[in-house]
Amino acid sequence: MTRSGQRNSIDRRSLLKFSAASGAVLATGMRAPAIAQSRAVKLGYVSPVTGPLAAFAEADNFILANFKEATKGGIKLGNATVPVEVVVKDSQSNPNRAAEVAKDLIVQDKIDLMLVASTPETTNPVSTQCEIEEVPCVSTVAPWQPWFIGRQANPGGGPPAWTGFNYTYHFFWGLEDVIAVFTNMWGQLPTNKSVGGLFPNDGDGNAWGDKQVGFPPVLEKLGYKLTDPGRYQNLTDNFSAQINAFKGANCEILTGVVLPPDFTTFWKQALQQGYKPKAASIGKAILFPVAIEALGRDGNNLSSEVWWSPSHPFKSSLTDVSAKDLAGAYESATKKQWTQPIGFVHALFEVAVDVLKRTPQRGDAKATVKAIAETNLDTIVGHVQWNGAGVPPFAAKNVTKTPLVGGQWRLKDGNKYDIVIVDNRTAPIIPTAGKMEPIG
Amino acid sequence: MTSASASPPTAQFRVAVSTPASLGLAAVGLLLLVGLVALPSVAERDLIQDLSFVFYMLALAQCWNLLAGYAGLVSVGQQAFVGLGGYLLFALTIFGNLDPLLAIVLAGVVAGLFAIPTGLVVFRFRGAYFAIGSWVVAEVYRLVFAQIKQLGGGTGTSLPPSVSNGVAGIDWVKTLFDVRAPAARDIITYWAALALAAGTLAVVYLLLRSRRGLALAAIRDQEATAESVGINTVRTKLAVYVLVAAMTGMIGALIYLQKARISPDSAFAVLDWTAYVILIVVIGGIGTIEGPVVGVIVFYLLQRYLADYGTWYLILLGAIAIAVMLFAPQGIWGSLQGRFRLALFPTQRRLERADVSGDRT
Repeated sequence: MTRSGQRNSIDRRSLLKFSAASGAVLATGMRAPAIAQSRAVKLGYVSPVTGPLAAFAEADNFILANFKEATKGGIKLGNATVPVEVVVKDSQSNPNRAAEVAKDLIVQDKIDLMLVASTPETTNPVSTQCEIEEVPCVSTVAPWQPWFIGRQANPGGGPPAWTGFNYTYHFFWGLEDVIAVFTNMWGQLPTNKSVGGLFPNDGDGNAWGDKQVGFPPVLEKLGYKLTDPGRYQNLTDNFSAQINAFKGANCEILTGVVLPPDFTTFWKQALQQGYKPKAASIGKAILFPVAIEALGRDGNNLSSEVWWSPSHPFKSSLTDVSAKDLAGAYESATKKQWTQPIGFVHALFEVAVDVLKRTPQRGDAKATVKAIAETNLDTIVGHVQWNGAGVPPFAAKNVTKTPLVGGQWRLKDGNKYDIVIVDNRTAPIIPTAGKMEPIG
Repeated sequence: MTSASASPPTAQFRVAVSTPASLGLAAVGLLLLVGLVALPSVAERDLIQDLSFVFYMLALAQCWNLLAGYAGLVSVGQQAFVGLGGYLLFALTIFGNLDPLLAIVLAGVVAGLFAIPTGLVVFRFRGAYFAIGSWVVAEVYRLVFAQIKQLGGGTGTSLPPSVSNGVAGIDWVKTLFDVRAPAARDIITYWAALALAAGTLAVVYLLLRSRRGLALAAIRDQEATAESVGINTVRTKLAVYVLVAAMTGMIGALIYLQKARISPDSAFAVLDWTAYVILIVVIGGIGTIEGPVVGVIVFYLLQRYLADYGTWYLILLGAIAIAVMLFAPQGIWGSLQGRFRLALFPTQRRLERADVSGDRT
């Protein structure tokens, strides 16, 4: 009796084990290319579809549908036309999961090129995996410092200790750009030049608040006085200490790189406690219309960096649509207001197609990397070329920058907001639509 | 005790732990182990990676099971030691220039040392308070590591390719299996994961069969009674806590050798390193050695085929856990065990008549 029971159990146990193993084997078998010649080019794409960073990936489905449409006939590689396949994975806004899905894409799906977007929490684990797996990777939507310095073995070591990467490339802007944009905007207003800095202890916050590469040295040079109460933990529910410090130093300007829920908390508490700066330029938190709408009417004239907008005078190399038309198509397809990542996710796929077209030796990582390094493409977010322009020598190989301007959220009828570009001295090619106005 | 010795049995009874099936299974298990060690010579890389995942989750689950299922210490703060191990790996390899495999072992030792003061603090709590206290401690660990600038602070840091591709024996594996460096590194981490999984299984099993295991079972069933028969409950529990911390630290170091990137939020993630582990143990069957094995297979299959559904996947995991707790509180294995009275890793002492079967194993 006991014996037969035990045998039963062994069967079940080994069955489960076997099915796990055979399932895995089967899955590999099915995904393995039948004939190398006719196989599709495979792109892996990782983004935070769910979780706290999901707003960044909101437009992914729209962009991917566009991309599928544009490449449905395949792309030309040398003399052959081959189909393109995109394998999309969700990082769940979790760096552990991002590393895991990157590994899956590389090992199981055997992708030819990795694409990854949105915040260092997503781009860094994926780029790190690609670097050690020797798979080419293009990333975007994370300022280049957290992406480059944050992936160094010794982030505090400085340029001689920092090394470049062989397989991972990045296009976006840097802290120096956002600092220039913010200070330009503040320069339009008469203020006491006293700045309060709200920097969390995370990838972005540490970079922005860094005494060498962040805000402090530049602000000092431009004659601003920075009050930095130190790094706080994300998802804090009490900002009284920071608010008191800013009130004490009479900070007429507020800046920082804050998570959306944290900024909502901070701003409500600040207004309750009677702190209202003349200018508040915040990174990350108020990129999205939903975040600013969450502030009700208190969001008027908050300012933010603008990396892409419908008024950017660029067009897609893939579909030939202008920035204005792409945003318009998104709004009519989804009935939602346009957001900045739309342009960059689209541009990521533009770069991918351009790179693949120049790599007839499909699947050859070294050739793909060479093609990435030789990119010279006008995309919907501006020119992408890893030529080291405006980037310090240690990062010149892996980083290229796209233009950045400053904008202010303006309340329009009801609870809706529009972002208005108010300063373009950093990129005069992008038109402004107004002047900086004080909060109040 | 006194009553048992007052009426001595007439020598035809004995205490047995092994069952005939378990002995046969030991041989099968050994064969399986040999097969798994040799697997990289035939298997594809993705199978090796998936099995590494299964093995380190199994090892974590086995550790938590020992803690919660046997010592009665329901900790929701085991991510403290996973993260500690991971960070120690980075510190020891980047700043100490140690070989990663050696660093894994050392990370275990240091994690064990850290567990002594930690344990003395959290053991002041009982039951639900202990669970919360352990979580708070893990948060403290996270906040402390977020302040260490050399390890990237809140930003985190990456393992340079020279370290992750410089694991001892990588050249040997490269020539042995004729593979590239990343694949060779996978094979070595696979072996390390297999060793840790088999090692934790063996340690837990042997511990439970020892005298200390008997003490643990007594504590699990009724702590006050255990104390009254002379078991030093605090010392026994602390010993288990430290042992589990050391094993968890080694597993954490291995996990982050594979991930090659660490940040406080990922290393001390309660969802990844404790909630999933609890789920595995609960689904499989808490308080049994077989339970985590069953649980990890179920969890692996769910993750493999459903994880791409994002939020729905997490909702489904929660629903499964609730369903198991309501309808089969002993988990899959616990229910089977209850019905068929079976045990692959028998730890229960049975009183048998020695003269019935006649064999003296």
